[in-house]
Amino acid sequence: MSIKVDFQLDAKGFSCPMPIVKTKKMMAELVDGQILEVLATDKGSKADLTAWAETVGHQYIGTVEEENVLKHYIRKCSNDMLDEKTFEHTIELEQVTKREGLILDAREEVEFAFGHIEGAKSIPMGELEARLSELDKEQEIYVICRTGKRSDLAAQRLSAHGFARVYNVLPGMTSWKGTLIKNI
Amino acid sequence: MSNKVAIIASNGGLFDAYKVFNIATAAAASEKEVAIFFTFEGLNLIHKQGMYALPMPAGAEHYAEGFAKANVPAISQLVEMAQELGVKFIACQMTMDVMGLTTEDFIDGIEVGGAVTFLEFAKDAAPSLTF
Repeated sequence: MSIKVDFQLDAKGFSCPMPIVKTKKMMAELVDGQILEVLATDKGSKADLTAWAETVGHQYIGTVEEENVLKHYIRKCSNDMLDEKTFEHTIELEQVTKREGLILDAREEVEFAFGHIEGAKSIPMGELEARLSELDKEQEIYVICRTGKRSDLAAQRLSAHGFARVYNVLPGMTSWKGTLIKNI
Repeated sequence: MSNKVAIIASNGGLFDAYKVFNIATAAAASEKEVAIFFTFEGLNLIHKQGMYALPMPAGAEHYAEGFAKANVPAISQLVEMAQELGVKFIACQMTMDVMGLTTEDFIDGIEVGGAVTFLEFAKDAAPSLTF
């Protein structure tokens, strides 16, 4: 699997606690919202990184194993991220699969790969402006992310570009109880 | 939730050193404030020469191969990393006096203190660990 990430850390061959220590150091290079891929051969690193991310407040996205190498994906978060949702048109999560419009997933590619709603289209927040031509202004668009924050911003941008039938989906994927489609 | 981890290192073998420094670096990497109180044989772990010659437990010498194979970092590397991550090292004054040691005998960047110095740090730490 080749997936777009912002940073990569090679911790192969290192035993505990090195993968964690190296990840912590590397994380300082990232800005909020960026994705780090950690390559490790330490079998304990999956449990450790999951717990570490939980402790320090980053988002552990998932792990894939390829040829005895574990690839962990973590998204940098900080506690002081403002949780403001201002886009006025919202739709409840349960409603989106009952309607005809497009579910637009604004999370990063790797988050999408580890689980999304069937039929959803992936355009990460940062690529939205460059990929507007892929969207139809006549169609209803339900923008979703993990918690409703990035999708709020994405919905505002779409609206500013003349998309009139845009809704922010609340809450986000963290509350999705249905089937998750994975591309990993 | 406490953001402090307090560790007492009172044994001077190689296994003891790994237990102490692995937990300490992992905790510091998880953004905990960490202090280690080195007392009695535990002082070996930060002794300038001693830390390079920490003994394996009797009968466990064959694990040396396992350490190499698992690519476990050397104690000196873990010590350096722990200090880089801000782990506080406190050497026990009383033990130093008994053993005739001075700060010159230890790696740089340590503090020297008594039991109360450690207790003051540890009073609101969770977990507190002894090795």
